[in-house]
Amino acid sequence: MHRLVHQLMHRCGSPRECCFIAPPFLLDRLAKEGTTEQRQAALQTLATSASFRAKRSMLTKLVQTPGVDIRALGLAPEAVAENRAVYDVDHGGMNDLPGRLVRNEGDATADDDAVNEAYDGADATYTFYKEAYGRDSVDGSGLSLISCVHFGVDFDNAFWDGGEMVYGDGSGQLFIAGSLTKAIDVIGHELTHGVTQYTAGLEYRVQPGALNESFSDVFGSLVKQYSLGQTTDQADWLIGAGLLVPAIGGQALRSMSNPGTAFDGDPQPAHMDDYHDLPDNNDPRNDNGGVHINSGIPNRAFYLAATAIGGNAWGAAGQIWYQTLTERLEPTSDFGQAAHATLEAAADLFGPGGSEEQAVAQAWKEVGVLS
Amino acid sequence: MSYPEYAVKLTITRGGGLAGLTRETALASDTLPPDQVAKLHELVDGAGLLGDAARREAPPVHPDELGYEVTVEHDGRTSTQRFTEQTLPDSVRSLIGWVDSRPEHRQSILPP
Repeated sequence: MHRLVHQLMHRCGSPRECCFIAPPFLLDRLAKEGTTEQRQAALQTLATSASFRAKRSMLTKLVQTPGVDIRALGLAPEAVAENRAVYDVDHGGMNDLPGRLVRNEGDATADDDAVNEAYDGADATYTFYKEAYGRDSVDGSGLSLISCVHFGVDFDNAFWDGGEMVYGDGSGQLFIAGSLTKAIDVIGHELTHGVTQYTAGLEYRVQPGALNESFSDVFGSLVKQYSLGQTTDQADWLIGAGLLVPAIGGQALRSMSNPGTAFDGDPQPAHMDDYHDLPDNNDPRNDNGGVHINSGIPNRAFYLAATAIGGNAWGAAGQIWYQTLTERLEPTSDFGQAAHATLEAAADLFGPGGSEEQAVAQAWKEVGVLS
Repeated sequence: MSYPEYAVKLTITRGGGLAGLTRETALASDTLPPDQVAKLHELVDGAGLLGDAARREAPPVHPDELGYEVTVEHDGRTSTQRFTEQTLPDSVRSLIGWVDSRPEHRQSILPP
């Protein structure tokens, strides 16, 4: 390890070189095995020389390693007002990110629907977190919300790459062309992956991964409900309504109220009895151990708790889930630990034994996580 | 450069992603017009999919990222390689884009 750090520290002569000598496996080893001083020193060196992209990649790797204070290193932006930027990847791949800057904060509308939709969706998400929970952006400290549109050719996905949002155009074979930037719950879902990264840091595998997915669905749905001013009984509790092509035979990607009913063959369970025990291997069929499958269980728990409490779901129920995500979970937390954490949050926020805590307990019982 | 006329079948499996669906796309050379068979060979060769899979250090997956498996059946042999969005070479990305664009491909979408 000392040798690796030495190499990192002394071979970073130019930004170009730096990109190539900080491969992912090295950053992983540094993050796992290096001392706090080693991690801090390597970050400091790289921060002054690495390219924008390499820097973001490093931050992703190291931001959650204990003992490293990225704010003290001057790597995190100062807390400022909302700050968005949208880039056009122009159909390139990972090596082409972020692409060409086409709309910066405060710029006039661009002549590109995807650009404007990504810009507005980032705003809806920023506004929701700021007004509902006082959170200043994804990291809580005004992090710029960067969106990269037109990724790949007819690319059927949108994802959070650890530092920015990446949107494909949709091929018309799975996602309707142009749809991926249209749904603000999907944009809220992706940006919430960033919130999780900066807070609970839930591992993206099996139960912690399904919780990671569920928190993104919960707050993604709340971004939509908040922007529409909906109460729990007015909300559709769907994720990504209208994005799939009609041939898939469905109304949305997921249903939080009735998991397993969003489209023909929707595999999501609504109860622990139907939990899908998929392996966490590199087979793309297994979805990192079913992270998008088993999220149906905690999704329904939130829906049940929120509807039992009533009113606006971003109120008491949302506050309980928000405090749980940002203060009470660890990277390896499972469903049971998350359930107990929500009970503690409910007691902390609204008093022990109150109706909120009871509603939350009943919800987790109904999905079979608590008995 | 000419390409041998042996049959090639390509199967691309994409999983995970925002939707969590598994999508399998297959394209066989015997369904293609002759000039496109040459193009398929050229793209498969260029993507380095015919040899043994090089060992790759897979970085941790990003949330909602796609995973890829590409299988090439040719000349009585089968080669399979897996990638993440981050390790997918541009040459393989181009090959997948081309397969998606060919009307002869067959596709199924399945839950995991």
